[in-house]
Formats: sequence, structure tokens, C-alpha cells
Amino acid sequence: MLNGKVNYKVPRNLLFMFELLALSLMFLYYKDTLNRTTVVYSLTLILLVYISNVLLIKITSGDNYIFLIVTMLVSIGVIMIYRIDPELGMKQILWIGFGIILFFVSYILFKSTKGWENWFLIYAMVSVVLFLLTLFLGRNIKGATNWINVGGFSFQPSEIIKILSIFLIASFYTNYDRFNKLKFGKYYLMGMIYLFVLFLFLQKDLGSVLIFLSVFIALQYVYEEDRKLVYINLFILVISAIAGYFIFSHVQSRVQTWLNPWKYIDTKGYQITQSLFAIAEGGFFGTGLGLGYPDFIPEVHTDFIFSAICEEMGVFTGIGIIMLFLILVYRGFKISINQKYKFYRIVALGISILFGIQSFIIFGGVLNMIPLTGITIPFVSYGGSSMLSSFIALGILQVASEELDFDEEQ
Amino acid sequence: MKSNNINKEIRRIIVVLVLVCILLVSLVVYLTYFQIFKAETVKMNSYNKRLWINEEKVLRGSILDRNGKILAYSEKEGETYKRIYNYGNLYSHIIGYSYREYGKSGLELKYNNELLNISKSATLNELRNIVLPNTEGNTLKLTIDHHLQEYSRNLLKDKKGAIVAMNPTTGEIYAMVSMPDFNPSKLKEDWSNIVEDENSPLLNRAISGLYQPGSTFKVITSVAAIESGKVGKSYDCSGSTVIDGYVLNDYNKTSHGKIDLTGAFINSCNPYFAEKGIEVGIDKLEEVAQKFYMNKSIPFDLTVKKSSFPNRSNLGKTDIAAASIGQGEVLVTPLHMAMIASAIANKGEMVKPILVKEIISPEGRVIDFNGTEVISQATDLFTANEVKNMMVEVVQRGTGKNARINGVKVAGKTGTAQNPSDKDHAWFIGFAPADNPKIAIAVILEQEGSSGGTAAAPIGRKIILEALNTIN
Repeated sequence: MLNGKVNYKVPRNLLFMFELLALSLMFLYYKDTLNRTTVVYSLTLILLVYISNVLLIKITSGDNYIFLIVTMLVSIGVIMIYRIDPELGMKQILWIGFGIILFFVSYILFKSTKGWENWFLIYAMVSVVLFLLTLFLGRNIKGATNWINVGGFSFQPSEIIKILSIFLIASFYTNYDRFNKLKFGKYYLMGMIYLFVLFLFLQKDLGSVLIFLSVFIALQYVYEEDRKLVYINLFILVISAIAGYFIFSHVQSRVQTWLNPWKYIDTKGYQITQSLFAIAEGGFFGTGLGLGYPDFIPEVHTDFIFSAICEEMGVFTGIGIIMLFLILVYRGFKISINQKYKFYRIVALGISILFGIQSFIIFGGVLNMIPLTGITIPFVSYGGSSMLSSFIALGILQVASEELDFDEEQ
Repeated sequence: MKSNNINKEIRRIIVVLVLVCILLVSLVVYLTYFQIFKAETVKMNSYNKRLWINEEKVLRGSILDRNGKILAYSEKEGETYKRIYNYGNLYSHIIGYSYREYGKSGLELKYNNELLNISKSATLNELRNIVLPNTEGNTLKLTIDHHLQEYSRNLLKDKKGAIVAMNPTTGEIYAMVSMPDFNPSKLKEDWSNIVEDENSPLLNRAISGLYQPGSTFKVITSVAAIESGKVGKSYDCSGSTVIDGYVLNDYNKTSHGKIDLTGAFINSCNPYFAEKGIEVGIDKLEEVAQKFYMNKSIPFDLTVKKSSFPNRSNLGKTDIAAASIGQGEVLVTPLHMAMIASAIANKGEMVKPILVKEIISPEGRVIDFNGTEVISQATDLFTANEVKNMMVEVVQRGTGKNARINGVKVAGKTGTAQNPSDKDHAWFIGFAPADNPKIAIAVILEQEGSSGGTAAAPIGRKIILEALNTIN
């Protein structure tokens, strides 16, 4: 798709320089507690990122930018997390390492196996099982019951279900005609998605509700041939949003805090107002790494990492991150349009929308532009589940960016 | 058919792409808007802990009087610093207070950055904290004379009102008292009482209390009359006059008989000045009032409320008459009246009032100072002299006799101001010695219920005498 003319060395080397400089600054900042493991881990990560970028150009015939953009995002994220808490920073480096490995694994797996579009039932069943597991084994963290514990590791099944549901939607619309012949066949997908949303609502995970619905509506808008269904879906949504506001107290509470966080500055508005202080304090150029007080914000390393970045690296870096997502989303859409296989087209589109919407919801939330719902920024926030699932999604997007040659119907 | 479908699909994909892009770009727009228009206000919220970070690392500077007496200082108490106010209530309105719970007031607020020796840039502060931990703030040296301040406050004990004593030629404030006051070192214990007290002890009456000046305002009306040359005619005062059907009385309805400007000034004849004001005209009155800084912001180390003189276009005759004798819509602060007296004393030149004389670095170097500055040529030398002579007469043989001092020529003007309550405010403004002024004062006793000559002039006398004896 992109042939030879572009010199990838320049951005790759710039990224390398950025990482090296930022990390040296951080080492200087934490010079008292610096140890060998930290240095080795960090240098390994920088090398891994560099080598992956070189390697990828060799093995893929597809898009060479998306991985580069993502490595820039993870670099900014991990540096900020390391600055907030070196221990978490070390863990994040590990997660990124695993993430990059998973990126290649999912790239190879997804590329070498066929038939992904035929497993609608499997995606549906695995998702439901994961949801049920969360519901029964779930632990309540930060007011949402969306974590389960497996062998000492906590993870968020909804992160995996996000990708599964994109596959679900893609396989449905790829086999649209087949489903249409069945009785009530065209309602299968809507039924499944609403079931997912119901599960998420029970977990009080409002952010994920928003993401699932946005991705679903966008894909439905593009691929549903029965336009009536799109309007019905939108209608149901508006009604249930209004009903949800009046029925569920936690929805009301979010909206109230959004309208006037200063009124609840001591209680439920504390987090968001602390976030606004941080962003305001940073100004356009930031206080400089290590010179601000992002740790005044509770949960700063996950949901509020963006505020911390704005405080210390400046609003211009914040805008830069938003722009990186914008390019990533744009590349994703371009990949989708250029892909000749419908299933891969839908998957690429779904993943791009997922990245775009998810980042919008959390950026808008910490800025108090929209009501705050606690979700992570893909690739930037601290967290294993989010990092791994995002890299898996990226691996799939990488496959979709290539000119595939399957001997099956388009 | 097939390619048609594909085109439709691509068109829809682009619609979704545009929507997602709009969402992301709106974030950039909002973030920029927030940073430019809202960030400054958001930052100043007292819940922003960053505001206090610097404070707790720096030894807040001391505050000294003009002779170097320590009025307020900080000392280390465990991990943090404790602010100590040496003289309890005495400086509650000048120095104010600085508490994490209640915020800041007075000079503690206005000179916070200087006292902490911090610059406005957070980055510079942080860098400084890294390089030089445990820094000290700057010291403020005030123009206040501790002795005169204490003396003045004692004269106002158990009263409501304010006193401002200043040097009429340099603008240095020697004493500034507002009563009732409060004790900044016992704020935690007294806070609820202070806030609920209907006499508002938190209010600094000397700069934030707006009062009708009453007859003290005749100083300005006289300047206007002399400047416009309308002083020749003598006037027959019967103790009251009727303007537009509205009867205007003298204090106690005294009739003064045949008098000229000097006679009217000495006896504070209301009918004379009411009619003189109308004769001079509102435009001239307003012009002179403006030159004396009415309707203007007075530059000062603390925020001064703006005094007001009516300047509506539809002002009636009764309004002009009332304004000429300092009633109706005319409102002034005590500091401003002291400045007006100073301007007459200082050959018509109004000087900027000064409270903070010097800012001294921890190493003892003077890093900034407030110099004398003429802010307005309020009137010419001739007029100033005329008014001064009339003010001397007021004290010699007029309403201000209670301010007379043996061997010192005191110039003064009394005022008894009607106000919404049924008890009059008692005013005295003045300066001395008249030919070589060293001190100018303004005294107001709020709702005292007696005349300026009886209640305020004796206080003015005592302060002038004390100042002349003790300040060199």
C-alpha cells in the first residue's frame, strides 16, 4: 500500500532519541533509588521498540505507521507512569514488552488462519461466559465490578470482550445474507449486543457501555441494509439513556458532578477537580517532568494519566497525544477502505472506532467536557489488560492493512 | 451493483471517520479554550493544594514598623512554620492574617509573593526549591509608627470608626486604625464570632468603609468656589434654605447672619454651601472632585474602595445642594479624606499614600521601595493656601476649637454626616503645623450621634500632638 518512498528511519530515530532523553531525565530525577534492573529494563524496552519498528517493515507489506504511532504513545505513557511511581513504571515496561510480543503473535495467528468470519456463535458464547464469570467472580474495584482474579493476576474480561464483540459484529455482517434467511436472524446481533450492555450495566461499568454502543452503532450505520433497524436502535438508545438517568443513581451522580464539579469538590467531584487543577497548572508548556504534583489526583496512573501529562509535559503534549490518536484512527479507516475482504474491513473499522471513541471518552472525561466514566486510554494508561488487548487489536489491524490473498468469497 | 454497494459503504465509512475526527478535534479546541480562558481562575481555587506547597517550604518574611519593631514573624514549629502576630488586634486590618483554613487578608494577601520570595512562575519556584531548599522570604518594612498606631487605637477603644494619620508631603501612613477589629492570632477560636458579628470586625473601615463626608467635603466645594472666582458676595444665613421645595437646615438650625465664604466655612454653614454649589455648577464641582480623586481608584498597597461623587446627567438642584455639603450620593473612605487634607496641606499636590516602605531580602538588601509620588495636582497653590487659612480659622475660632493646640497652628475641618441610621457620623480632618505640615489626619466615629467638633476633633487633636511629639 505504501511503497518505499517514505523514509521510516527519521521518525524511528526521533522516537529513539525522545525515549532516551526522557528516560535519562527520569533516571536523574530518581537518582537516589535507581538500580540496575531499572536501567536494564528501560534500555531493553527502548531496544525492543526500535527493533520491532525495523522488523515490522521487513515482514509486513501493510501499514508501517500505526505501530510507530503506538510506540510513541506507549513511550509517553510509560515515562509518565515511571515518574509518578517507579515501581508501576517497571511493571508497565513488562506489560509493554508482553504487549509487543502479543502484537506479533496475534499478527501471525490472525494472518495464518482462516475462517474467522464463520465463528459468530463461538464469539457470542465466549463473551457470555466471560461476562458470567465477571458477574460471579468479579471483584469490586473503584465502584465497578469488572475485574476477575485468575492465578494471582487480576484482569478485566471486558477488554477482551471488546475485541470479541467487534469480531462478532464483523462475522454477522460478513454473513449477513445467511442470517437474514433465518427467522429473526437479523435481530441476533442486536440481541447479543444489548445483552452485553446489560451485563456491563450490572457491573456499573458505564464507560464500557458507551464504548460498546458507539462501536456497534457506527458499524450498524455502515453495514445494516435494513435502515429501519438503525433508527430503531438509535431510538431505543435515547429512551434508555433518559430512563437510565432517572432509574440509576450512579448515572445521575456522574451527570451532576459533570455539570458542577466545584459543588462536590470535597466528595464525588474531588477527582475531577484535582484533574482540572493539574491541567490548569501545567499551562501550554507544562511544569517540566518531575516538577508538578500529578500525584494529588487519585488514580492518576490509570484513568487520569492524561491530566498528569498535561501538567508536567504541557497542554501541547496533551494535544499531541490527541493528534496521535487522530492519525491512528485515520490510518485505521484508510486500512479499512483499502481492504478487499469484507470481514477484515469491518474488523479494521471496528478497531479504529474503538481506539478513537475510547480515547475521546476518557480525554473528554478528565477535562470535564463530558461526564467522567472511568476507562483507560489505550496504550497510555497503566494496566495489563488494557495494554495487552490494545496490542492484540493493533496486531489484527496490522494484518488487515495488508493485501490479503484468501481463496474465498469477498 | 456490487461496486455500487462498495461505494455506499465507503461513503458511510467516511461519514463515521468525519464524526470521530470532529470528536477528537473538539477535544483539542476545548483543551485550548480551557487553558486560555479558565485555567487562571481554576488554579486560584483554595482546594488546589499546589498553592500551599511553596508556602510550607519557605520561612515567611517578617513585617516591621518604620522603626524596625517586629510586628509579625514566622517560626518553625515541627515540620511547618507558624505565623506569630506580636500585637494581637492592633494590626488586624493592616497586616491581616494568613491561614490555610481561612485564607489571607491585608498585606499578608497583597504581599504574599514578596513575603514568600516566590516568583509567579511555577517552574522557577520548583527549580529554586531543588537548588536552595529551606529558603526565607523577604521582610516588609512599613511606614507605620507602632507607637502612634497603638495610641490611635486606644483612642477608638469601644467605638466604631477609623483613624488615618499620614505624612501629607511624603504620603507615608503613620497609623491606620479601624474599629471594631479582631485578633489574627486567635482566628481559629474566634472565627464564627467574627464572621457573625454584625459590626463586621473583618471590614477595614479606613479603606473599605464608604461614608458620607458631611461638612468635611466643604473643603472641595470651597476649592471649586475659589477656583471659579465666586466668593465675593456675602450671604445672609437664616439657619435654613429652601431648594426646589426641599428645606435644608443648618446643624441645630443655627442662623449665622451675614457671612462670606470664610465665615460660612468656619461655622460650617449648610445653606451657604448648598447655594454656592448650585451657583458654581455641577460640572465645576465634579471637575474639582475628580482632581481630588473622587470616582477614581486610589493606588495603595491595600485595595481601597472607590469614593463616589454623583455624575449622572439628570442631577436635580437638591442633589447638587446635598453633594455640595457632602451628603446625598457623595461617599468617601477615611483614607481618602486624609489624602484630601494632605493635598491642601501640600500646596494642592495630592501624593500617593504609602504603607509598605521597603521590601528587604533575607540578606538585608533593599530589593524594592515605595517612593513619594504626586498622583494629582488637585488645586493650585493660591487656592490651597486660601483653604488652608480657612481651616486654620476653623480650629482657631470655629467648629473645630476642640482641636486647638497651644503653640501649634492646626488646620482642620469638622463634619457631622447624616446617614441612613438616626445617629450622625462625627468627622474631623486636619493637618499641622499649618505652615510646615508634618501630619495629616482623618478621624471618623461611625454613628456616634454627636457632632464632629465635639466627638472627633478632640481625638484628632490628641493624635496630632502625639505625632508631632514622637515622630521625627
